[in-house]
Amino acid sequence: MTPSLELLPATPRSESPNVRLLRRTFRSPSAVIGALILFLLLAASLAAPFLTDRDPDLINPGQALKPPSLSQPMGTDNIGRDNWARFLFGGRLSLLVGVIAIAIGATAGITIGAVAGYFGGWVDSALSWSMDVLISFPDLLLALAMIAVLGPGLINAMIAVGIAFIPGFARLTRSSVLSIREQNYVEAARALGASDASILLTHLLPNALRPLLVLTTLSIGSAILTGAALSFLGLGAQPPTPEWGAMLNAGQKFVRQAWWLTVFPGLGIFLTILSLNLLGDALSDAAAGGTGGR
Amino acid sequence: MRRYLARRLITSVGVLLGISVLVFSISRLVPGDIVDVMLGTRNVTAEAKAALRAQLGLDAPIPVQYLVFLGNAVRGEFGVSLTNKMPVARAIGEQLPNTVVLAAAALAVALGIGFPLGIFAALRPGSWADTLAMAVSVTGLSIPTFWLGLMLILFFSVQLGWLPSIHKGSDPLSLIMPALTLGLPEAAVIARMVRASLLDVLSQEYIVAARAKGAGRARVIFKHALRNALIPVVTFLGLQMAYLLGGSAIVETIFARPGIGRLAVSAISSRDYPLLQGVVLVTASIYVVVNTLTDLTYMLLNPKIRLT
Repeated sequence: MTPSLELLPATPRSESPNVRLLRRTFRSPSAVIGALILFLLLAASLAAPFLTDRDPDLINPGQALKPPSLSQPMGTDNIGRDNWARFLFGGRLSLLVGVIAIAIGATAGITIGAVAGYFGGWVDSALSWSMDVLISFPDLLLALAMIAVLGPGLINAMIAVGIAFIPGFARLTRSSVLSIREQNYVEAARALGASDASILLTHLLPNALRPLLVLTTLSIGSAILTGAALSFLGLGAQPPTPEWGAMLNAGQKFVRQAWWLTVFPGLGIFLTILSLNLLGDALSDAAAGGTGGR
Repeated sequence: MRRYLARRLITSVGVLLGISVLVFSISRLVPGDIVDVMLGTRNVTAEAKAALRAQLGLDAPIPVQYLVFLGNAVRGEFGVSLTNKMPVARAIGEQLPNTVVLAAAALAVALGIGFPLGIFAALRPGSWADTLAMAVSVTGLSIPTFWLGLMLILFFSVQLGWLPSIHKGSDPLSLIMPALTLGLPEAAVIARMVRASLLDVLSQEYIVAARAKGAGRARVIFKHALRNALIPVVTFLGLQMAYLLGGSAIVETIFARPGIGRLAVSAISSRDYPLLQGVVLVTASIYVVVNTLTDLTYMLLNPKIRLT
């Protein structure tokens, strides 16, 4: 029996693997929910100046510790600053800490992993050993040790968190590069006289891109979390900078008088991590599904 | 097997050496003169500075300084804390038991909730019960520890007035919220692990055979599948126990509990480098040792590795 045309898959053959990965990811309802929450949070922090006309740093002692109301939906803090404005602008920073930290960790990690995997030998042994050492610290402990060197502060927190994520990216890149280093087309490029750098950049790294994309999605959430944790401990963003972790640190002292100061900033972090976890899970499920299947 | 064992132990010793290099570098990489940084704005004489410089052995070449540091660390000597003038080893020795109690209690919470939840979800994969259990799990995974702690305080201390919000000596009630804070996110991780591992085992042939012989689903799970499904989970538990030790900084800070996590945070704020180096070195070493032991346990439990 010959299959009729209608039974053939509707998707065109020319669909790129990345588009297919995304399509498969968003077949899961949790990915859609995750993307929606993330979109709302991103939109709210990007549009912060349009969503409030209040200055997040404006002190107004007469309005201290007011509960949420129509005009101030998240209440005010102990020196009368508007909590909604601080929430919006704080979200910007919390998200930014995660993104920059991962940018640092991914850039350093991918470079180290690619060099180790491509050159092998003692270069590989030395780099892999240093990655083993870094990975043997729990994220937060390593970040604390780095803050001890760099000193507290928002920028330093980004660097400290970024360093904690180097080993993950390095290991993944190294194993991807190792698995394709000996392929014929790489040999061919080498025989044609391509330099090490150009082989790495044009042949080896693009092949490692998809697993790296999944790792990035999964890591941004924990980077945001570790960054906020540093700020919560008073070692990241410093007052009066609005940042969710730092806002929780400040709000903690008023937990008995003003629940809104601890509920809202934490809710922001929670929803961010939740949305990234939902997306990341669906993405890695879709990537693990491989080429065959549904 | 002996070769695997030897290789594993050599790797661990190499990592421990690397950790000692990194921890040593903490105080040497600080920009500026470490003595000025450590003494900060405290009013000190030139003699006091010279004394600290001599105590830290800063006049020797760097490699010699490292070897001295390593030799001392191996003997459990980490110098004297700058803030409370107490030997660092004694400060850690006094605080470590508190953190171990917290980590053990959190692990009990994680197992007590994570295991039943994971098994419950694996019993009927794809059902609403499974979906619900996994929704609870992903929620638990996404809650920041520091927020969870504050929300528990808000509910159980402020609203209900049932539990003390800060540590009170030997009062066992004051351990409940810290243990929940540290343990609940771990419970979420364990539930996922148990579910995935159990589903994996349940799809294997000997389970299908047992089912075909007429064994009920519950009997199959508890008699046949669970034992094998436990192997990866046990491996993971070792890692988590060590992680709980490291992650105690936040929980101890929220609930004002004594412990080495809080010691590390206060050491950073007061620029007490000997104390910080001691805490980081001890915690990371515990992590490596537990990790190695877990790998070896896994090797003993899993004949496939034992044979090669």
